[in-house]
Amino acid sequence: MVVVAAPGRAADPGWPETLLRFCRKKPLGAAGGFIMLVIVFTAVFANVLQTHDPIATNAAATLAPPSAAHWLGTDHLGRDIYSRILHGARVSLLVGLGSTLVASVLGGIIGLLSGYVGGKTDLVVQRVMDILQGLPLLVLALVMAAALGPSIPNVILAISIPIMPRAARVIRSSVLSIREFQYVEAARAIGLTHLRIAFRHILPNTIGPFIVLGTAQLGSAILTEAALSFLGLGVPEPYPSWGRMLSVSAAEYAQKAPWLVLFPGIAISLAVFGSNLLGDALRDTLDPRLRGA
Amino acid sequence: MKTYLAQRLGIAALTLFGMSLVIFVLLRLAPGDIVDILFSTGGYVNPSERVAIEKELGLDKPLWIQYVDWMRNMVTGDLGKSYRYDLPAWEIIRPLLPVTIELATLSMIVAVLLGVPTGVISAVRQDSTLDYVLRVVSLAGLSMPSFWLGMVIILALVAWIGWIPPMTYVPASENLKLHMIQFALPALAVGYRSSALIMRITRSALLEVMREDYIRTARAKGQGERTVIWNHALKNAILPVVTVIGIEFAFLIGGLVVTETVFNLPGIARFLVQAILWRDYPIVQTLVMFIAMVVIISNLAVDMLYGVLDPRVRYGS
Amino acid sequence: MTFFRFTAALWAAVGALALVAAPGAAQTPQSGGHLNVMLREDLPQGFAVHETSTISTSFPSMPCFNNLVVFDQLKRTESLETLVGELAEKWSWQDNYRNLVFFLRKDVKWHDGKPFTSKDVKFTFDVLREAPDAPAKLRINPRKDWYANVEAVEAADPHTVVFRLKRPQPSLLMMFASGYTPIYAAHVPPANYRTSCIGTGPFKVKEWRKGEFVDYVKNPDYFVKGRPYLDSIRYVVIENRGTRMSALQAGKVDVSFPGEMSKTIADQIKKAVPQMVVTTVGQTVSDNIIMNVKKPPFDNLKVRLAVSYAIDRRGMIQAVHQGGAVPGAALPPKPWGIWGIAEQGLAALPGYGKPAEEKAKARKIMAELGYTQEKPLKVEIGTRAIAIYVDMASFVINELKQIGIEATLKQVETAQWHAMATRGDYQIGANLTGLGIDDPDANFYENYACGSPRNYSHYCSEQVGKMIDQQSQEVNQQKRLELVLALQKKVEEEAPRPILDWKLDYFSHWPYVHNMVPQNNIYNFGRMQDVWRDK
Repeated sequence: MVVVAAPGRAADPGWPETLLRFCRKKPLGAAGGFIMLVIVFTAVFANVLQTHDPIATNAAATLAPPSAAHWLGTDHLGRDIYSRILHGARVSLLVGLGSTLVASVLGGIIGLLSGYVGGKTDLVVQRVMDILQGLPLLVLALVMAAALGPSIPNVILAISIPIMPRAARVIRSSVLSIREFQYVEAARAIGLTHLRIAFRHILPNTIGPFIVLGTAQLGSAILTEAALSFLGLGVPEPYPSWGRMLSVSAAEYAQKAPWLVLFPGIAISLAVFGSNLLGDALRDTLDPRLRGA
Repeated sequence: MKTYLAQRLGIAALTLFGMSLVIFVLLRLAPGDIVDILFSTGGYVNPSERVAIEKELGLDKPLWIQYVDWMRNMVTGDLGKSYRYDLPAWEIIRPLLPVTIELATLSMIVAVLLGVPTGVISAVRQDSTLDYVLRVVSLAGLSMPSFWLGMVIILALVAWIGWIPPMTYVPASENLKLHMIQFALPALAVGYRSSALIMRITRSALLEVMREDYIRTARAKGQGERTVIWNHALKNAILPVVTVIGIEFAFLIGGLVVTETVFNLPGIARFLVQAILWRDYPIVQTLVMFIAMVVIISNLAVDMLYGVLDPRVRYGS
Repeated sequence: MTFFRFTAALWAAVGALALVAAPGAAQTPQSGGHLNVMLREDLPQGFAVHETSTISTSFPSMPCFNNLVVFDQLKRTESLETLVGELAEKWSWQDNYRNLVFFLRKDVKWHDGKPFTSKDVKFTFDVLREAPDAPAKLRINPRKDWYANVEAVEAADPHTVVFRLKRPQPSLLMMFASGYTPIYAAHVPPANYRTSCIGTGPFKVKEWRKGEFVDYVKNPDYFVKGRPYLDSIRYVVIENRGTRMSALQAGKVDVSFPGEMSKTIADQIKKAVPQMVVTTVGQTVSDNIIMNVKKPPFDNLKVRLAVSYAIDRRGMIQAVHQGGAVPGAALPPKPWGIWGIAEQGLAALPGYGKPAEEKAKARKIMAELGYTQEKPLKVEIGTRAIAIYVDMASFVINELKQIGIEATLKQVETAQWHAMATRGDYQIGANLTGLGIDDPDANFYENYACGSPRNYSHYCSEQVGKMIDQQSQEVNQQKRLELVLALQKKVEEEAPRPILDWKLDYFSHWPYVHNMVPQNNIYNFGRMQDVWRDK
C-alpha cells in the first residue's frame, strides 16, 4: 500500500517524537545521523576548532608524530594534520553535498518533466540518461574532471553529472505512479496549468525518495572526490582534501609517518559510513515498499 | 522473446552511439592535447613543429570529420593508433585485458562468497546482534576508499614482514603460485567492497520474500526452517541478487582504476588514467567504448536472465 | 690434548684465511646476473632520446646507446678531466677551438649487425642541427640550439668526423658527453626509436612491455671485450611512489631512479635496510621562480627583487627538502658542479642574507609601491599539478604573504604547463629545471637568451646576451670561469628567474650491486657497462 500524504496537511506527530521513535527503531541509523552531525559541525566550525592554520608550513616540525602540540601529527611540510582534516571535512562535504544537490536538482527537473510529459520526449531523455549511467562513475568523473580542469566547482560538476541519471530515474518513477491519480485529473479539470500541477502536487511526494537518494549518493560522491583527488584530478591546493592528503606525499613518507595515511582515510571512511548508515535507515523508514504490510 | 531481444539490442546500439558522442566531445573539451604533452616531454614549445605533428596525427581536420573517421574505422575494425606509443591501439590494449578481466572475476567471486552467505545469515537472524555486526562490517567495507585499503595493506605487509607482492605482472603461465598471490590482495580489497552491496541486496531481497504469503503457508504446513529458506525463499530472492552481481561486475571495472594503480597491475583501468592524462584519444575512446559495451552487455544479460528466471516477464505482463 | 690443540689451530688458520680471502674475492667483477632498476613512469617516447628532454627517456635508454664521448661512468664528477672516449678513440681541437676532430673506433657494430661508421655520426648531428640537407627530420627537436654554432659536419673517411664551428666553443665537447647526445644509426628512421632501439650499446632491447618494464639482454658483440658484466637488466615501471620505496626496501628492485631519493626517504630506507648503499650526489636540477618580465607587476625590477628577497632559500631547503638541497645561483656550486658561485659569493646576492633582514628589505620595496600585508599585491602563481612543484609553491606563497604579496595557487596540468609558460600566459610560477649538462652554454642559452623557447621569463637583455656569447668563446678555462661567475651574479641581480636551490639525490642501491656510480647530474650516467653484482 502506498501512503501518500495529501499536500498541506501534517499527517504525523511533532518532530521530536518522530525523531525519538526513529532512534529507538533504527539505532544504526541514529548512529549514522550522529556521525554526520559531528562531521557537519566540524566542517562549519573548522576555523574555531583548529589548532593551527591548515595551510601554514613549518620547517621545524615536519613529519612530527601525534603529540600535545599537534594532535594528529604533521605532514612533510610541517602542516598540522588535525587542522587539515577539519578543513578537509569542509571540502568533502561541500563537494559531496554540492554534487548530490546539483545532481538531484538537475536530475529531478529532468525526471519530473520527462515523466510528466511522457511520450517520445520521455523515451529520448531515458536513453540519454542510460548513456550517462552506462559508464562507471569514476571513469566518467575522471574524463569530466580532466575536461574541466581542477577547481572545486568543476569537481562538483564532474561528479554530479554521472549521478544525475539516478535522481532522474527515481523522480520519474514517482511521477509516473502519481500522474494517474484522480486528484490530478481533478486539478486539470479545474484548469490548473501543467507546471503548477507538477510543482505543487507531484513534487512534494517525491521528497521521500529524494532524501533517500541524497544520503545514498552522498557517500558515493565523497568517495569519488577522494579518488579523483588521489589521482590528482580533484580539488586543487591549497584547499585540504582528504583524498589528496592520501596521494603522493602520504604514500612517500608512509612508513616513517603512518599517521599521514591513517587519519585522512579514517576520516573518509567515517563520513561515508555515517551517510550510508543514515541513508539505509531513512530508506527503510521512508520507502513504503519495505514497510511491513 | 525474440522481439524483446531485438528491441533491447536496438536500444543498446543507440546507447553505444550516444556514448561515443559523449566521450568524443568530452575528451576534446579537455584543455591541451597530445602535442602539448609531446612538447612537455621535450621541455619546450615550437609552433611550426606543432603544426606538422597535428597534420601527421590528423588533428588538424574539423572535429566532425575526425568523429566520422573514427566511427568509420571502428566499424571496419581499425581502432586507431595510440598517439603516445605510435602503435595500433588494439596491440597495446590486448595484453591488458586479461589482467583486468581476471581481477574483476576474482573480485566478484570473493564478493559473492563473502556477500551471499552473510546476507542470508543476516536476514535469517534479522535484528540480532550478529545481524548488526555483519551489517556494520559489511558497510565499513563499502565506506572505505578502496585505494586506501590497498595502501594500508601494502604498508602493513612491508612494515611487519618486509614483503610486498611482486611489482611486475607475473602471468599465470610463468608462475601460478606467485600469480595467485599477486592477485589475491587486490581481489580481496575490491571484493570486500562489492560484497557489502551484495550482502545488503541479499538480505533485503530475502527479507522481502520471507514476508510473502507462501512462506507463511510453508511454515504453517510444518516445513523446517531450513527447508523453508532453501527451497522457497532463496529461490525467489535469487533474482535481485543476480541482477546486482551482473551490474556490479560491470561497474567493478571502473572501480579497479585506483586498485590497479596502487598494486601496480597492468590492466585497462590503470592504463585509462594514463591515457586520459596523455590525451591519447584513440586509446581513451577505445577503452571507454569497451567498458561501455561490457556494461551494456551485462545489463542485457541480466535482463535476459530475468526473462528466463522470472516467468512473469517471460510471458509478458 | 695435543691433537685437539692442533685441530683447533688448523681451523683457526682456515678461518683466518677465509676472512682474509673473502673481501678480496668479492672485489673482482663477476660476470652474469640480472639487475632490476626502478622507473618512475613509462618511457614517454620510447628510446627517442633526441625527441625528448626527460630523464624518463634518457636513463632507461642509456644501456642501448653509445656517445662519441662520455663522462667516466666510474667517477662521480663530470668535467673535462673525466671525459673518456666511447665511439671515439681520440679527439682533438684544432684551429683554436674552431674545429673538433674525432677518430672513431673501427670495431663497432649496430645491434642489427651493420657496421658503425662516421656516416652515422654525420647523420645524427646533421639531423640534430637541422642542416639544410639533413636526410631526416626530428618531430620534436629540443636541443637544436646546442648545435647552433656548428657550420658543418664532415665525414672525411669512414672513421673520422670533423665538426666545423662558426666560432670557438669549448663547451661543445661537453655537450657530446651528455646522456642527451647518443648516436643514432643512419640506416634507421628517427621515428623508429619511439618504439624500439637500434644502438651500439652494451645491452640490446629484448622487450618493452608498455607501462610495465623494459627488458635488456647483454650485447655479445659489444666493442669493449669482457663487457658488459650483467646478463640482463629490467627497468620496472612503478608509478606509485610509496610502492616504489616499498619495492626497493623489499629488494624487488636493486637500484633507485636518479633524482628519486629525497633525504627523508633515504633516511627511512637506511633505517629499514642498514646495509643499503646511499650516495649523496647533486642532480643538476634546480628549483626556481620564473617571473613574466613582459607583464605587470613583474616587469618592474624592484618587485622581482622583492620576491627574491622574500624567499628564505635555506628555510626552503629545510621545509621542502628536509635539508636535501643546497643554495646556489644559476649554476650548481662546488662540489656538486664546477661553475657555481660558492657560499661566500652567494651572501652578496639578493635573498641570501639573514631572512629577517631580507624580508624587511622586501617589505620596504612593496610599501614604497603602496602594498602592505593588510593591503597586499594580488597575483596568481602557477605551477605543475605535481606534488614536488606544489610543495615548493606552497612554501613560496607563505613567504610572499609576509611581505605584502598575496599569491593564489593555480595548478596547471602537465599538458598545459610548457605551452602556457612559452605563451607568457602567467605572472609568476614555481618551476623546476634540469640541466642536461653542467655547462654555462647549455644553461644560459636555454634559460636566459633572448627568444629562447625555454626562457619562460621572456627576459631579454642585450648586455647579458653579449656576456653569454663572450664566455662561450673564451678558451682559457680560468678566464671563462671569471666571466661565468660575473654572469651568474648579473642574472640574480636582474632576477627574472631567481634560483631557490639545487637538489640533491640520495642515490641508493643494494650492496650486492657494484660499480653503480651516480654522478652529480642525473642525465649522464647509467650506461651499465661496468656494473656487476654478487651472485
